[in-house]
Amino acid sequence: MKLSLVITALFSGVLLIAAPNTGRVQAFQDTVTTPTFSQVEESQEVLLEKNKNLLISVLGQGVAPMNTYSPAQAFALAKRAAIADAYRLVAEKVKGVRVDGQDIIKNMMVKRSTVRTSVEAMVRNASIVETTFKEGLCEVEMEILISHSQFQFQ
Amino acid sequence: MRSRDGNSDFSLSVSVSVGFLLLLPSLALNASEFLISYRYLVKDAVLYNETLEISKTMQKCKGKPYQSIVFQTRDDKNLKKIIEKNHRKFVDYIHHIGLNVEHHDATINYKYSSTTILTLKTTCFKVDFNDNFVKVSPLK
Repeated sequence: MKLSLVITALFSGVLLIAAPNTGRVQAFQDTVTTPTFSQVEESQEVLLEKNKNLLISVLGQGVAPMNTYSPAQAFALAKRAAIADAYRLVAEKVKGVRVDGQDIIKNMMVKRSTVRTSVEAMVRNASIVETTFKEGLCEVEMEILISHSQFQFQ
Repeated sequence: MRSRDGNSDFSLSVSVSVGFLLLLPSLALNASEFLISYRYLVKDAVLYNETLEISKTMQKCKGKPYQSIVFQTRDDKNLKKIIEKNHRKFVDYIHHIGLNVEHHDATINYKYSSTTILTLKTTCFKVDFNDNFVKVSPLK
């Protein structure tokens, strides 16, 4: 009986010593060292400064419709869809997105969940850097150079 | 070549100046204005309803031309045909001028759908028709 108690005490002591190296404690340490939201915001947010240009790069994707007459037509249509997607991404990056959400809950159950996002913008002087078309998917890499003066209202 | 009465230089200069005076209004007449609009819709990453509308203006437009584009032609005066021949180049040019982007997407009961509409609002373009080329420029 005594021997078993000593063994359990020793075993628990070993566990306590080894505890700092276990995954759970490591995870706790990780959460401590993880930067706060404001720190992340400060470090990652790119601001448009005076006398400096900002290059925005996006990757738009588009798919060809099913009823095309030729691969060339499929490519042309998919590319146009990809360009529209790239324009949308540029607009989202520069102007931001409006998000509306609605959940209808009845008798403690979600009946209908809706999330709507929208953006409206005018995009000009965007240039296509690269276009790829693989397995029906067209990808367009687009760049736009924006400067502080473009956002000054007269 | 000198004529017998010795007035060749004068008559030549008169004919050249008259010709130039006649040419000037004809050049000015070849410049005309067109209203162009362009729109297409992309629904769930697939293109629908691409429309390009071209019509001649019924009254004079105001504004100054900017960001011109030049198409090589063979004495063609029909803008619709010229644009039809250079459709891809013209559409790229319209994108460069700038388009209005309107995007809406909805996730209803975890099912996603999106609609993006790109529009060039009806814009007046000045078109200069020449023998070998056509210069198209929007007015602002």
